[in-house]
Amino acid sequence: MRKLVSLLTIGALSVGVLSACSDGGSEGSSSEGSKDDVLKIWSFTDELKEPIKTFEERNGVKVELTIVPTADYATKLKPALESGVGAPDVFTGEIAFLKQWIDAGYWENLSEEPYNAEEVSGDIVPYVFDLGKDKDGNVRALSWQTTPGGIYYKRSIAKEALGTDDPAEVGEMMSSMDGLFEVGEKLKDKGYKLFPDEGSIRWFAQGDDPQAWVNEENELVLTEGKQNYFDYAKELRENNLTALAPEWSPSWFEGMDKPIKVKEGGKETETEVFSYVLPTWGLHAVLKENAKDTAGDWAVTSGPSPYFWGGTWVGIYKDSKHKEEAYDFIKLMTQDEEFLTEWAKETGDVLAFNPVTEKIKTDFSDEFLGGQNNYEFFLGEAESIKPGIVTKYDQQLDTLYGAAVNSYVEGKKSKDDAIKEFKKQVKNAYPDIVVD
Amino acid sequence: MKKLDRYGYLFIAPFWVVFLTFSIYPVFLTLYYSFTNYTGSPGEEIVGFANYTRLLTDTYFIEAFFNTIKIWGVNFALQMGMALLLALLFSDLRLKLKGLNFFRSFFYLPNLITISSVALLFGILLDWQHGSLNMVLMKIGLISNPIDWLAEPVTAQLSVSLILTWMWFGHSFIIVMAGVSGISTDYFEAAHIDGANRWQMFTKVTLPLLKPILLYIMITSLIGGLQLFDLPMLITDGIGSPDGSLNTMVLYLYNQAFKYNNYGYASAVAYGLFLITLIFSAIVFKGMFRNERATQKKGA
Repeated sequence: MRKLVSLLTIGALSVGVLSACSDGGSEGSSSEGSKDDVLKIWSFTDELKEPIKTFEERNGVKVELTIVPTADYATKLKPALESGVGAPDVFTGEIAFLKQWIDAGYWENLSEEPYNAEEVSGDIVPYVFDLGKDKDGNVRALSWQTTPGGIYYKRSIAKEALGTDDPAEVGEMMSSMDGLFEVGEKLKDKGYKLFPDEGSIRWFAQGDDPQAWVNEENELVLTEGKQNYFDYAKELRENNLTALAPEWSPSWFEGMDKPIKVKEGGKETETEVFSYVLPTWGLHAVLKENAKDTAGDWAVTSGPSPYFWGGTWVGIYKDSKHKEEAYDFIKLMTQDEEFLTEWAKETGDVLAFNPVTEKIKTDFSDEFLGGQNNYEFFLGEAESIKPGIVTKYDQQLDTLYGAAVNSYVEGKKSKDDAIKEFKKQVKNAYPDIVVD
Repeated sequence: MKKLDRYGYLFIAPFWVVFLTFSIYPVFLTLYYSFTNYTGSPGEEIVGFANYTRLLTDTYFIEAFFNTIKIWGVNFALQMGMALLLALLFSDLRLKLKGLNFFRSFFYLPNLITISSVALLFGILLDWQHGSLNMVLMKIGLISNPIDWLAEPVTAQLSVSLILTWMWFGHSFIIVMAGVSGISTDYFEAAHIDGANRWQMFTKVTLPLLKPILLYIMITSLIGGLQLFDLPMLITDGIGSPDGSLNTMVLYLYNQAFKYNNYGYASAVAYGLFLITLIFSAIVFKGMFRNERATQKKGA
């Protein structure tokens, strides 16, 4: 027994030694070491899988994609970028982190040689290109997509309550805040609800001239336009124009496909939600996934003012050792006509690269939207979006502000108190922001 | 002899390496950060006790402290009540309840569910307009209008307390049960012969003999309770809504550090939390210990 054990041990050990030798051999022979030749890319979705496959085939470069779930992405990426240990060569950044990472200087300056990203400035949707710039106007990250928003509504309800289901006509009716509320009343008369919740109105409440949350002096900007959100939200609630189904809640999803129950003034009624305020990706990632029975009954149109929601940018890590290959990949992702044409046709993603969109935009039609060409619609919306209002504080400030508005709508606080509380919270979260 | 000594060190080395790198080093690094204005990128400056003075006057932190205590307190009272009641039933010599093993695992089950699933599950159950809880309550006529459980501070805190109770009473029950079975039946038989009723047996025999076990449950639950984070984070918007009522100390710490990038201040919050935990544990321990000595003296 003892002999057997020792024999096995020796055997195991020698295998270990041998394999160690062969490992060393192979590493030695491939000069630089195979690990260093891999282009490392980090992202938070599997979206990049297709482009990476194309890139590997075309350029003969091996790519290693690391996908970190959104919730952990920033927390995992930051230490790697700070220390440079295990850092990716290319990484994507969602709008929520874009400005923060641009300011931190994690991304290579693409305005310089040899990238000269400025050359493509005319080919990319202006607001998308602008958002990738740092304070000094240098391009740090590029994006392949544009994510303007619209209002998705159910055609059958529009026909019944508004007399038409034509996106242009419905959009015209909702082209102002007053118009929006009028449509809401018409829908109410027929037993429908304009929006699922009061938060739906947040993009439009600011009007046509939205301001950044924080100005150049690092002061909190709370314009009248921003404060209107309180009043519009309250009006929606008091006039019973919403289905009391908060965004991302179970009933919010349920309302896409079937009538939902609402308790109003002690009486339970069944109602249907007319529209959802969502951007480009809302169609594929939210509506198509949840609205199965109503597929084909939808259409998309514009609200009182243009807006965008989300978006992903991509750039090169400043200390990457494979900057050339990295930029090749980014070029493929953002400026390659052949690849992008294919990509757009396959995924329906609304691209930001004009030379491609110009060619393909006319032949899009989406079954889910009753054959409507949403591609052309969204590209039109994208043109009217004003750049320069995104700050690194947006996501957190929007959350805090949404909570403040909600406490007013629910009648827990007066408008003044809610605003006071919001300011206090901003000061607490960001001591460097000047709050009056 | 000497050689053997050195081998010993070698064997404990792996633990120490891991312990020093992943426990001790971060503890001191946090202490250092708590005296700086670190924001996550290098280049922090030493700011002295500024973070600590801010902590003492920070109404959000103080609010978070009381929220945590409230949520934990209600949960602990209910959880212990249920655990003791169940232990009492299952240990009763006259009742002779069967299926202890089954119930032990059955009551423990909620504890095995991932907290994110629990949050999702209760988010659906407690939904205002469409949640099952409101539907049931309205069907049986207890309420006429749906209650928005997670929108009112009191009901939101109560909901979290009750969910925690549901998750943890089985755990406490197992430990209490272990303690009860450790008590010799001689005592109960003797008390029975002396004519003690159930209540007297419970208060005069079971409880005093369970004291070490109860102390253990209390301290572990307190330390865990003061670190309450995941459920309040997941069940509403993650910043403690409604009205900051679910803003617990660790949630506040998390938001300061990972959402607002105030790592320096968050480190000070962490040390504040550490001190509070220390003080509370000391109070609980002391209180229990003194009582014991007092009763001993009385007895003597």
